[in-house]
Amino acid sequence: MSVDLLEPQIRELFTTLDHAGELDPAEGASVATGEAGREELGTRVRIALRIADGRVQAVRYRAYGCPHTLATCEWLARTLEGRRPDALEIGNPLDWARQLDVPAAKLGRLLVVEDALQAALTRS
Amino acid sequence: MTDGAPVYLDYAATSPADPRVAAAMAECLTQSGVFGNPASHHQYGRLARARVEHARGQVAALIGAAASQLVWTSGATESNNLAILGTARAAAAAATGKPRHIVTARTEHKAVLDPCRRLEQEGCRVTYLTPDSQGLIDPAQVRAAIGTDTVLVSIMHANNEIGVLQDIEAIGGYCRQRGVPLHVDAAQSAGKAEIDLARWPVDLLSLTAHKLCGPKGVGALYVSPQRRAQLQPLIFGGGQERGLRSGTLAVHQIVGFGVACELCTQGRLAEAQRIEALRVRLWQGLGRIEGALLNGHPARRVPGILNVSFRGVEGESLLLGLPELALSTGSACNSDTDEPSYVLRALGRDTELAQSSLRFSLGRFSTEDEVDLAVSAVRREVGRLRAVAP
Repeated sequence: MSVDLLEPQIRELFTTLDHAGELDPAEGASVATGEAGREELGTRVRIALRIADGRVQAVRYRAYGCPHTLATCEWLARTLEGRRPDALEIGNPLDWARQLDVPAAKLGRLLVVEDALQAALTRS
Repeated sequence: MTDGAPVYLDYAATSPADPRVAAAMAECLTQSGVFGNPASHHQYGRLARARVEHARGQVAALIGAAASQLVWTSGATESNNLAILGTARAAAAAATGKPRHIVTARTEHKAVLDPCRRLEQEGCRVTYLTPDSQGLIDPAQVRAAIGTDTVLVSIMHANNEIGVLQDIEAIGGYCRQRGVPLHVDAAQSAGKAEIDLARWPVDLLSLTAHKLCGPKGVGALYVSPQRRAQLQPLIFGGGQERGLRSGTLAVHQIVGFGVACELCTQGRLAEAQRIEALRVRLWQGLGRIEGALLNGHPARRVPGILNVSFRGVEGESLLLGLPELALSTGSACNSDTDEPSYVLRALGRDTELAQSSLRFSLGRFSTEDEVDLAVSAVRREVGRLRAVAP
């Protein structure tokens, strides 16, 4: 399989990964971090949300996993920024898979992404 | 390499046909060429038959066999199936109700493992040997596994994922001592490593053309004269190949296979040295990337295959982040699955390392520039993916 065979949206997200990184707690009012998965099981994701003035000001993630996992993290980061954490309508991994054309075999990986995000939101 | 096309580093999956092979094949297709059915008794048939028999000699010469000992097939998968199913079913027919046992290895190609699993459903017992951490089967393991009911040992020569070469001569020696036939899948080693069936105690050996710059869709099974009567065919029809493999012979593919083998016979040593030097250069570059681990024995291997795990990097992401390279995470026949390599797991690699591997396979048209580009691209992508990892 070549990267050329990926759906264009996944390819663009995977090759960019602009939101990969950390959030410095000192810069924001509060940073909530959630983590899920294990490398030996194929996927590990950490997501950090900086919340200020009632909105998600910044999202950063670190991820080990397949291209669809990394692309989904990047897509979520872009989607979440600017929204109110109590009014997030981010859907669930099935919705994400449909939106991003993630194959059914990869749904388990998206569940790990969801777990990391939920853990971060719970701490926000 | 075509301008703008990815660098091809997947010769273990398949190789481009040598232009000399393609030219010989083209002579066997059209009305002005040798298009006849080799089974026909008219002039067209006789001409085709002569080409087929010439090719049989070319293929046999590559492995130190007699031409009469080869059966044409569609490739190594069919050859493996014929060898394994054909031997086990013939043994069952010869002694109804007697227990049957096969010895093979966990690191074999699916074209060996799946027929073995099929035979388990038919009541056959199969022992799957575990190699050492470098991928090698100790011949003593084979000797210990052979029992009074063993009807076949099947051990591959070169592993398709990691490239290590098994000690077929020693394994075959033990098999001969016990009167058990040995089948060898030589799909990845023929034309690249020495195979001398005049000397080696091997009874059945599988070959394919497309791994040695021949065409896809054609292969052969070497059958020693002593074992011919103990092989049950899988395909019935016109009785071609002395009843062992019915079906009209694909003259153009067989002729291409013959030329490909002759080119290997003429140039194997020089080509092996050149490709091995490229592989060494590739590992010298990749091995300097932190966390890079060579999979398989460092020396006992075919010249062109290098399998490397990169700790902390997921293999599929690494592969897809290298659009300038055409390579695999493992066996091409298995690379659509989401599972870590069963070959690397059998070597004792943990799941993370087993799913972080890339197989680089070099061949006739590989160059130093391509190797250097590969090293540079892998270094870049490993760095990028590690930077985003937790």
